[in-house]
Amino acid sequence: MIKTKSQIAIDIIAKVGKWLFIAFFLFMTLVPIIWLIITSFKSNFEYETEPLGLPKVWQWSNYAKALSMSGLPRLFLNSVIVAVCTTALNLIVSAMGGFALARENFKAREGILSLLLAGVLIPIIAFMVPYFSIATKLKLYDSLLILIIVYAAINIPVSLFLIYGFMSDIPKELEEAAVIDGCSFSQRFTRVVFPLTKPGLVTAGTLVFIYCWNEFTYAMLLTSSVKSRTLQLGIRFFKGQFVVDYTSMLAAIVLTMIPTIFVYIFLHDKIISGMTAGAVKG
Amino acid sequence: MRNKNWKQICLFLLPALLLYAVFFIYPLFYVFITSFTQWNGIGSMKFIGFKNFTDLFANETFRISLKNNFIWSFALGFIQIPLATIMALVLARKPKGWKVYRTVFFLPNVISQVALAMMWTAIYNADGGILNSLLAAVGLESLTRNWLGDMGTALGAVIVQQLFYIGYFMVVILASRMGIPESYYEAAEIDGANVWQQEIHISLPNILPILITSVTLAMAYGMRHFESTFLMTNGGPAHATSVLGIMLYQNLGALKYGVGNAIGATLIVLGGVLIMTIRWLLNKKSQKMMG
Repeated sequence: MIKTKSQIAIDIIAKVGKWLFIAFFLFMTLVPIIWLIITSFKSNFEYETEPLGLPKVWQWSNYAKALSMSGLPRLFLNSVIVAVCTTALNLIVSAMGGFALARENFKAREGILSLLLAGVLIPIIAFMVPYFSIATKLKLYDSLLILIIVYAAINIPVSLFLIYGFMSDIPKELEEAAVIDGCSFSQRFTRVVFPLTKPGLVTAGTLVFIYCWNEFTYAMLLTSSVKSRTLQLGIRFFKGQFVVDYTSMLAAIVLTMIPTIFVYIFLHDKIISGMTAGAVKG
Repeated sequence: MRNKNWKQICLFLLPALLLYAVFFIYPLFYVFITSFTQWNGIGSMKFIGFKNFTDLFANETFRISLKNNFIWSFALGFIQIPLATIMALVLARKPKGWKVYRTVFFLPNVISQVALAMMWTAIYNADGGILNSLLAAVGLESLTRNWLGDMGTALGAVIVQQLFYIGYFMVVILASRMGIPESYYEAAEIDGANVWQQEIHISLPNILPILITSVTLAMAYGMRHFESTFLMTNGGPAHATSVLGIMLYQNLGALKYGVGNAIGATLIVLGGVLIMTIRWLLNKKSQKMMG
């Protein structure tokens, strides 16, 4: 096909525009993070006087100070406990519910399913007062347990939606064969359906785990002391802990990002598909 | 006919329903009922009808917050989503390195809002922040300012921090775009349609359902917005960046539970109305386009 001059001009503009567009977003995503990492190696004097450019001497001591001052190991451990327990609790509860709703037929089925899935429409942020009062009434305020229960509950609609979808796709014959072989109701769940739903459980689990790891608002609202402080909440207190030592605080922030980025580098495909599964199917 | 396994069914549904009842249904009633009372959380509730709501709508800060929530919603729904859509269409044609770009653009979604907010606070800092330094380096010293402390720029600065993180919706839209059979494009190519025409006539109509979902979700996020504003400005300076979530948190801190829950109720109702209106409008429009 022969192209006219104006068509060639349009093609060139489109090509340049495309790469500029990509470059702009790469810049906006990566430069702040790279700047943060570089700055975390500067002395406070250098940060004030020469914000751009590389540090003259790389201050590894910032990281030593960050580790010793921030109480990071404790925060990290709390976050791991909350994320692991929440994910387990949420998956068990959602899988049991999903099993009953996907593999059995009964009168209230549609109603219960719609009710549980409608939860995604509610802005959880509006529940600050009731969650605070529930935590106080249950005498669980300022504990890791209340975070685990609240996070597990908040994520039920999304998890159930994903797991229910996977369970509905399992052929009926597999279960019928198991029943003939003498499987009871709960054995159909533990031996047939649950193992076959693994991809769905991994997807939902990824979503819940990342939610817990990064959650801030309710961690702030429902806890007060260091013993139940999670990593994200801990970052909030760095400002007070590193009053004059700004660059060590930036080093501490970099340290909190490292595990996430590290895991992301290896599992990005799984994480991306897990986190977006809800929206794609909805 | 009753299902013969009904006892086990109830047992399996019980944990999910119990958690749902305690953390969704009870709070919903709690928020709506107490929003009509004057209550500090400990003493007795005093029923005062719609007074909390009329007081709120007469309150300047509340009106600013409400306006800011709408600005957030529209910025996310009608700036972020179009940008994400363009990026998805560009990457769907698999330019060199497209998988790497996809992975990079999604990265901010796995880093916590807290870390990102602290990072951007450092970027916007008046002294030592990279933004002012960059401006000074290219001779635009007159533009340097305390970005988060300036009435004129604070809201924009907080929104921009989120706006260009297009990764989440870009991936969702990209997945939908990749689902369109390649043969459609090949046929259009043979008919002489250029890339631009192919995107308008093939891509857009096919990804429309996911675009509508994305706009709705993004606007709902705008209504729910809390974290990065709380962390970067806490609603200041002089309420310039305040949103309903910030006001709710402040009323909870001041033990004004009735007022706090009136804000919560407003959030729930407005969010629902917004979602339904947007879906209705966009669906109507798309039916026109298709049909």
